[in-house]
Amino acid sequence: MKAGIILLLVSTLYQTTSFAQTESNDPNVIIEYKKYESFDLGNLEIEGQLIAPGDLTVQERERRRFSRNLFERYDFDPETKQDIKTLR
Amino acid sequence: MKRIIITLLGLIYSSVTYCQEIDMKRLEAVWAKKTPQTPMHMAIELYNQKLYFSMVPFVAEHIIQAETITPEFEKLIEEVVLKTGTNSLAGVDPKHLVRHQSPSLNLVLAFKLFQQEKYKDVAKLLHTFSPKHRFGSEALMMLGTSLQFLDQYSAAESKYELCVSTAGDLESKAKHERLKRYYAIIKESCQTHLARIAYKQKDYQRAVLQYEKISKNSYLWPYLLLERAWASYYLEDFNRSLGLLVTYRSPLLTSYFFPEAEVLTALSYHKLCLWDDVMKTIEQYHQVYKSRSDSLRGFLVANKDSDTYFLQLMLNPIESGEKLNPFIRNLITQIRKKVKFSVDLINYQASREELERWKLSFEKHKSPLSQSLARESQRSVSWRTTHLNHFIKQHMFGFINDIHRFSFELFNIQLEVMSNRRDLLYKNQTLISDRSRGSLDNVKRRTDQHFYQFTGEFWADELGDYSFGLQSNCELVSRIPANDKKKGVK
Repeated sequence: MKAGIILLLVSTLYQTTSFAQTESNDPNVIIEYKKYESFDLGNLEIEGQLIAPGDLTVQERERRRFSRNLFERYDFDPETKQDIKTLR
Repeated sequence: MKRIIITLLGLIYSSVTYCQEIDMKRLEAVWAKKTPQTPMHMAIELYNQKLYFSMVPFVAEHIIQAETITPEFEKLIEEVVLKTGTNSLAGVDPKHLVRHQSPSLNLVLAFKLFQQEKYKDVAKLLHTFSPKHRFGSEALMMLGTSLQFLDQYSAAESKYELCVSTAGDLESKAKHERLKRYYAIIKESCQTHLARIAYKQKDYQRAVLQYEKISKNSYLWPYLLLERAWASYYLEDFNRSLGLLVTYRSPLLTSYFFPEAEVLTALSYHKLCLWDDVMKTIEQYHQVYKSRSDSLRGFLVANKDSDTYFLQLMLNPIESGEKLNPFIRNLITQIRKKVKFSVDLINYQASREELERWKLSFEKHKSPLSQSLARESQRSVSWRTTHLNHFIKQHMFGFINDIHRFSFELFNIQLEVMSNRRDLLYKNQTLISDRSRGSLDNVKRRTDQHFYQFTGEFWADELGDYSFGLQSNCELVSRIPANDKKKGVK
C-alpha cells in the first residue's frame, strides 16, 4: 500500500517536470491566427417555413357597457301595507 | 250654509259634553261594591256618563277576568273601539282577545297581528268575520290585503270586491258626513288594491281600468295619478305617463309633491330618448327640491326628540308652518287627509276634554277614586299626544328620505344618459332630432278616453286625462361632420 502511494507521487512529479521543460525549451515557436475569413451566406441553406399574414386585420372590440339598473316599480306593496296601518 | 250649521251644532254638542259634570256619587257607589263584576259595572257607568277614554282600563280588566262576555258588553266593546280607536285595547294579551270570540276583539287582534306581518294568522282570524258587522268593511279590507301578501290573488280579489260593495252600502246609509267620507275611503282603498293586484301581475291594462273606477273627487285620487302613470309607462305609453305626471303641476294639486313622480318623468323622457328633457328634469329637481329638502331636514332633525313639536306644527295655522319651509304646507295638507290622523286627532281632542272634566271633578270631590281616574286620564292624553306626534314625525321624515332616495335614482339616470351620449359619439352617430317636437298623431287613447288640448291652463275637469304628443327620438343617424354640414352635405 505504502509502495503504491510512493510510486504514484514519483510518477506525478516526473510528468510535471517534463511538461515544464517542453515549454521553456522551445522559445522560438510563433503562433499565428487567421486574420481573415469569409462566409458566403448565399450558399447557405436553411430549412424551415416562412409564415406571414395575407392581410393585416384588427378585430374591433365592442365597448364594454356597465349595466346600470334604473329604477323600476314592480308593485305597490309598501303603500298597500301603509293603507291598513293608517286606517285606524 | 249647511256646513256652518253642522259646525255650530258640533260646537254646541261638544260644549255641552265638556260642561257635563261627572256624577261621582254613582261612580263611588259602583266602585264600593268590590265584586268580580265591578270592572264591568264601572265601564257601563263611565259609558253612560260619556267618559269613553276612562272606561278603557275597566273594559280591558273585564276582558281579562271574565269567563265569557255578554252581548251587551260586546256592544260596549264596539263603542270603545269606535270612540277611542283599535289601539286602546291592543295592549291586552292576545290569548284573552281571542278566547271570547268577539268580532270587535278579533279586529283589534288582527290589527296587531298585521303590524307584526303575521298575515297567515290575520287571514285565519278574519276568515269568518261577517261582512254585515259594523266593522265588516275594515275586516274585509284587511283580510284581502293579508291574502294578497300570501300570494292568494284570486281570493284577495273576491274579498276586495265584497269590501267595495259593503263599504259602498255603508257609505250610502251613513248619516254623518264624516262617516260617509270614512266608508268612501275604505271603498276606494279596496278598489285601489284591486288595481294593484293587476299591476303586480303585470296586467297593466286591467290595472289602468281598475284605477279609473276611482272618482276624481276622491281623497285618494291625487296619489293614484302616480300609480296610473307607472302602469302607462309599462304599457310603453310614455306620453300618457308624462301627461298624468304633469297634472301635479296644476294649481289645484300644488300640495302633492312626490319625488318619485320626478323620477318617472325623467325615465319616460329617457325612454323617448329626449335626453335634454331628462337632464332638465334632473337639474330642476336638484335646484329646487334638493335645497328645500336640506333646509327642511335641518329643522326636523333639530326637533326630532320632541314629543309635541310636530303635533303643535299641525295644530298651528298652516301659514306659520309655511314660513319655516315651503314643503311644510304640502306635508300638512297630505297628513290632514290621512284617515288615521283625522281619527286620532278627534280622539286626542276628546281625551283632552275628558281630562278637563276629571280635573274639575277632582277639585270638587278630592276623592281617591277621582284622583286615580284623573291620573289615568292624564296618562291616556300623554300617550295619545306622543302617538300622534310620532305619526306626523314619521310621515315628514319619510318624505325627506324619499327625496334623498330618489335623488340617487335620478343620478343613475343622469349617468345612463351621459353613457348613451358617449357611445353615440364613439360610433359616430347621433339621434334624429330634427323632427317636430309633438304631434296629435303620437297620442294613444282608447275610444272611451277623454281628449283635451292643453293650452297652458289646467282645467279641473281635464285633470288626469292629459297626454303628451312627443315622438320618440330614438332613431339613429350618422353624424355629419361640421364642415360638411355647412356645405349642406347629407
